[in-house]
Amino acid sequence: MLHPSPQTFAGAPKSTAARIGIGGPVGSGKTALIERLIPVLRARNVNLAVVTNDLVTKEDAERLRRSGLIEPERVLAVEAGACPHTVIREDPTLNMAAGDELEASFPGLELIVFESGGDNLASTFSLDLVDWWIFVIDVAGGDDIPRKKGPGVLKSDLLVVNKIDLAPHVGVNLERMLAEASAVRNGRPVIATNARAGDGVEALADAICRAVLFRE
Amino acid sequence: MIGPLLAMWQADAAFPSGGFAFSNGLEGLAASEPLDGEALERMIAGVLRRRWATADRVAMLHAFDRASDLDAVAEIDAEVEAATLCEPFRAGSRRNGAGLLAAHVRIATPGAADWQARVRAGRAQGHLAPTQGLVWRGAGLDAEGATLASGYMVLSGFTTAAVRLGVVGAVAAQAVVRRLLPLLAELAAAPAPDRIASFAPRLDIAAARHARGELRLFSN
Repeated sequence: MLHPSPQTFAGAPKSTAARIGIGGPVGSGKTALIERLIPVLRARNVNLAVVTNDLVTKEDAERLRRSGLIEPERVLAVEAGACPHTVIREDPTLNMAAGDELEASFPGLELIVFESGGDNLASTFSLDLVDWWIFVIDVAGGDDIPRKKGPGVLKSDLLVVNKIDLAPHVGVNLERMLAEASAVRNGRPVIATNARAGDGVEALADAICRAVLFRE
Repeated sequence: MIGPLLAMWQADAAFPSGGFAFSNGLEGLAASEPLDGEALERMIAGVLRRRWATADRVAMLHAFDRASDLDAVAEIDAEVEAATLCEPFRAGSRRNGAGLLAAHVRIATPGAADWQARVRAGRAQGHLAPTQGLVWRGAGLDAEGATLASGYMVLSGFTTAAVRLGVVGAVAAQAVVRRLLPLLAELAAAPAPDRIASFAPRLDIAAARHARGELRLFSN
């Protein structure tokens, strides 16, 4: 069961927005998924903001700011100091502070999406930072990724397998890959998406709304 | 023996405060000139003498002494803002201060939530050094431990960044730390001046160049 706030100690500020993480390897399509998610969530009247964790540039933040999908001031960039996993796991305080800043700037904010910098299969989000998190892999990365059982694949609340349209072109049996992903996760949810075409994005938005916004 | 333990607790890189994301000018310097272990050691020694001992330490100790008076801490905070020439260092200090504060608010360190509320309300900048002084006083450190924690974090912050930048290896970096510990101890023992002053122009210039760079691993 989720707790509405990651802050459990006396004296901690009251958190109003649910915080979710989106992590995954470099190039798996995290930013593309967020670009698709934003209009879907906004159509559902979700008041949201995004924090990106770019590794060496502000590419992801700038891409979202220029997208026209969301007011630029609702996108903050946190540089990861060469350590994309540290900034979401061992030391998430810069992201926590960015979330606090967004909450202070946008009263009524309901959802903050933290996009991790591209990492490897071992990256996981600290529950100090997020209430719930998604790990994104893609078929072009190889259909053996679920079998490698990285912590991201195993521990995420939701596993997204992206770029499913590429499966026939990279020799991946998608059905088997999804079945193996579901098996290694003991049946915890797996969603297949093609972010470029928007396939599966409504299901992803449904999962977010159910898990942290308590909306059906 | 709790005093030294509290200082170790706060100086430990495992305590989340966001410090790992800041090279404080080193990334810019390494991009503009070749650096090796000796050059790194000279650079850190200079920063300890001319920035940490005379500015960061002073602001931290002044805030530590007046931690129960947020107006006084805010004055010190404003002095840090005014005395920090280089914009990337001002921004980095505010963000690092916000990171440290986020952790201390969540573990309910006395004074942290009130200071964070003041910063959020725009009535203070929340720079790192005065925030350290305030939360470390609340956390029970003594002035000596707070001073050593502050200095050690500067020293280890530079060497850790140097390892990630490939300037030195992880083991060689610890030799640099060891050689600089006596200097840190000597500086920490000296009386703190009344006013904040710093002079590290090479790093100011390097950080300013770095801020305009397209590619960077660190925030400053």
